[in-house]
Amino acid sequence: MRLLFSRRFDWYLLTLVLLLSVFGVIMIASALSGNEVLASWPWRQAGFLGLGLVLLFITAAVDYRLLATVAYPLYLLLLAFLVVIAVIGTVAGGAQRWLTLGEFLLQPSELTKIAVIIALAHYLSTRKERMESILTPIGALLLLVPAVVLIYLQPSLGTALSVLVIGSAMLVVSGLRVRHALLFGGAGLAAAIPAWRFLLEDYMKNRVLMFLNPSQAAAADRYNVEQAIIGIGSGGWWGRGLFRGSQNQLHFLRVRHTDFIFSVTAEELGFVGAVLLIALFALLLFRLVHIASVARDTFGMLIVTGVTAMILFQLLVNIGMNLSIMPVTGIPLPFISYGGSALWTMLIGVGLCESVMLRHKKIGFDA
Amino acid sequence: MRGARQPEYGRLQLLRGLILLVVIVLIGRLWQLQMITGEQYRLLADRNRLRQVDVTAPRGVIYDRNGEILARNRPSFSVVVIPGDLPKEPEGQPEGAGDAIVLDRLLAILSRPVEDLGATLETPVPTPTAPPARATQATPTPSVMAIPERQPWVMPRAEIEEKIELGRLGGAYQSITVARHIEEETAFLIAEDTVNLEGIQLVLEPIRDYPSGALTSHIIGYMGHIPETELEEYEAKGYEQNDQVGLTALEAAFEDALYGKPGRQTIEVDVHGRRVRTVGEPDAAVPGHNLVLSIDMNLQQVATESLQETLDASSGFTKATQGVVVAIDPRDGKMLALVNLPSYDNNLFTKGITTEAWAALTSDTDLPLFNRAISGRFPPGSIFKIIVSAAGLEEGVITPRTRLGDGFDGSNDGVIWLPNEYAPWDRSLAQSFVSWNAKYGYGHGMITVRDALAVSDDIFFYELGGGYPNRYTGLGSKKIGEYARIFGLGEVTGIELAGEVDGLVPDSRWKRLNYAENWLTGDTYNMSIGQGYVLATPLQMANATAAIANRGYLWKPQLVDHITDDQGNVVRPFEAVLLRQTPVDPSLLDVVREGMYGAVNWSNGTAVRVRVPGVIVAGKTGTAEFARDNNKDGQPDRDDKGNLPTHAWFTAFAPYVNPEIVVTVFVANGGEGSSVAAPIATKILQAYFEENPSAEAGK
Repeated sequence: MRLLFSRRFDWYLLTLVLLLSVFGVIMIASALSGNEVLASWPWRQAGFLGLGLVLLFITAAVDYRLLATVAYPLYLLLLAFLVVIAVIGTVAGGAQRWLTLGEFLLQPSELTKIAVIIALAHYLSTRKERMESILTPIGALLLLVPAVVLIYLQPSLGTALSVLVIGSAMLVVSGLRVRHALLFGGAGLAAAIPAWRFLLEDYMKNRVLMFLNPSQAAAADRYNVEQAIIGIGSGGWWGRGLFRGSQNQLHFLRVRHTDFIFSVTAEELGFVGAVLLIALFALLLFRLVHIASVARDTFGMLIVTGVTAMILFQLLVNIGMNLSIMPVTGIPLPFISYGGSALWTMLIGVGLCESVMLRHKKIGFDA
Repeated sequence: MRGARQPEYGRLQLLRGLILLVVIVLIGRLWQLQMITGEQYRLLADRNRLRQVDVTAPRGVIYDRNGEILARNRPSFSVVVIPGDLPKEPEGQPEGAGDAIVLDRLLAILSRPVEDLGATLETPVPTPTAPPARATQATPTPSVMAIPERQPWVMPRAEIEEKIELGRLGGAYQSITVARHIEEETAFLIAEDTVNLEGIQLVLEPIRDYPSGALTSHIIGYMGHIPETELEEYEAKGYEQNDQVGLTALEAAFEDALYGKPGRQTIEVDVHGRRVRTVGEPDAAVPGHNLVLSIDMNLQQVATESLQETLDASSGFTKATQGVVVAIDPRDGKMLALVNLPSYDNNLFTKGITTEAWAALTSDTDLPLFNRAISGRFPPGSIFKIIVSAAGLEEGVITPRTRLGDGFDGSNDGVIWLPNEYAPWDRSLAQSFVSWNAKYGYGHGMITVRDALAVSDDIFFYELGGGYPNRYTGLGSKKIGEYARIFGLGEVTGIELAGEVDGLVPDSRWKRLNYAENWLTGDTYNMSIGQGYVLATPLQMANATAAIANRGYLWKPQLVDHITDDQGNVVRPFEAVLLRQTPVDPSLLDVVREGMYGAVNWSNGTAVRVRVPGVIVAGKTGTAEFARDNNKDGQPDRDDKGNLPTHAWFTAFAPYVNPEIVVTVFVANGGEGSSVAAPIATKILQAYFEENPSAEAGK
């Protein structure tokens, strides 16, 4: 409890997170209103939030520096989980992403992102003097490979991509040399062609193709994006009113409470509400970058960078998909979309950042 | 301190820049969607959720003059299945078991024979503003062809299941019609069993109902789908392709008044097309206007029955199957009765006529769909003499005291000989013209026009019309034609029914064009007694009679007395239309009227059977020869005495002073006007004066 009253606990960060999460619960309630079967889901999300806050405080209480010692074991444990669900996981939505725990379904791939951040932060912080060597970034990429491959095989292209992006962002911030970056960029492009031909499933190709050329996409694929755009566009300045958006309430919009919750927000709360939401995210992200910049050590700085990149990437991809400037991937909007695993992952990530903040460099007067 | 930082801290600026970029891109795109193209998306969202639906306007009701309903709306029940609402299969049963349970139950009810369902209930759609209708009597309709009505239609089970499967893939909430026009009792059973029939709905569709059926089908007509050729016209007026419109008779003539204006309302639907709520104020439907006819159903019924009896009683050479009765109020042209036999049941059309029924109706040689009262062209025979009399008097060819007729040539035998125009000296070339009485071996002698009308002496009218060489100059065909037209022949009367024909008033030009022959005095003779080439519709003859009865006013006959809105307010009152006033001096018309009085009331009159107790009737009989060739031997048929077949005519008005009703009876191939047509008129006049005791009647 001492922790909570510490001057160093970042109440500003927690307030932003709470605002976003509560905002999310309200939007989920609107998206699911009228649905008797799922009537309890907004309350369930509120419950996830309560539990997630506990996780946040626990994470914040633990000194992040201790995590360096368990970074690799933790990563291996999560990889093991991914292997397990690949074998026994419950099939849902055509993909094996879920692990049934009693009544709830756990999505270990979400938590894997945290393990990847810690492991990579540990790896990079211990090798910051060896960044001149190309072996260091190659090692970092090798570290990512098992996670990316296992998540991709679920299959969950979006999450696999997000792991790659988080890793790249941490690599860049930790001082990736420009020549190495160019090399990896070239190699990536060269790999893209065989990847497109042999690795990507048809539905993934469809989504990308549809994004590149909407008229080519199948009607069913286009439908969701079109309806989301119609919802957003019809919002105007102040929106149609909470619980009053016709696209949402009359169910023209599908997957309203998860993938397309931003469309519900923009339709019902209008430009003002949507910009407010994006502004909250911006404040949160800038705060996280600030925490990174005051971190006591590179390990802490990189952890916060990873969490920042994770949130930023999901924000861009999810809202971008709603606004039809990004392909359709099943990536949820952080703190807002319905889903316990995703919310907990975010709150644990924030907890890590709080932990870094609590133990940041002493600039003040107390010795 | 900052300067001492390690270089990687500087890379965080990249992250800040990236965050800023993402935020700007997202907000920029949001601005574009919501602010620049927002209106367009608002329209798209509205198009998603809003539907315009029509609210049908009830069609106007048609009443007779006493408020008896002749055409109304009644509900027809259809059954629809909504695949999305069908119950889920019970636990442990295979998929689709839920559908099967409901379908079993529904089909069991639909296949139950109607006799088991108890007494038939009559529940017409309530018409709140209807004038107090008399209790509908069990009306014995004229005998019409026994054609079965359209039977309820039920979709075969296999097809239903297939449609449900298809429906589940596409619009699970789109209804599938599985039965149409089911019996009312069956519909009640389904309505009562709603609990067990999840996913099944009854749909009410208004259809027309004609309580008086065949009794008035030639007045009311029937409805059907918009003919393809007129689709555009109707759509311009706001009709939908599947709407029913009046196709014949008053249903067609007053389509605009009866139709009303369908309302529109905007409803909000969800993604499945299910109605969520009504948006805004609905544009209310305006019910169609009601027609109140001048037709008196009592009279219509008596006329139908007595004409039908006569047709049924006829046999042999004069077996009659077709006839017409027209009753008009001579004071303003209001139609009191319009009977055309054989008739048909217009209720056959209300559910869409079956192919078999249509084939049966159209292949009948008696043409039950043909309204010969307005579309039949017949020789008027002796009733045409009333027009010739009026012409002769007005033109000064005769005076009321002028005597013409038989016997001047030495033998008063009902025959005169018209000398050959080119060899007047050669008696062997002379052509004989006979009066109807010649076969009884006597002549009427020299008589005045009154007597000539009363006894229907043909010789008198031959001479009046055609004159006699060296003795007398007649009217001539031109003048006869002129007066025939004055009294409405040769032109349509303008009654509100489509298909009216103008008949034929011949002249020499017409004969030259059609027969390449000159007009002869003999033609004028024939024309003078309504034979030869003169053709008229029964309605024209009735209207001409009315113009004589009312001393010179030719009114347009009208079936519709007035039109009311659904609240009973009169929106179009009756307006008598005067076609023309005849140039004949009323006192001269009185002479004609006296002749008609004589026909009924003098002991030697031709229509003494038409006396009605307490009322003075005046009339004129007609027995019009016509040529038919039923045995197909290439020669006109003749009876065993060598006579041509005849149509029976009778036209009358009453009371003699201030006439209120004109009755014209026509029986095709009926034989003698006096014995066949006149008794029918008697019954009609009796019925009329029982119902409307006349103040003048006793005088």
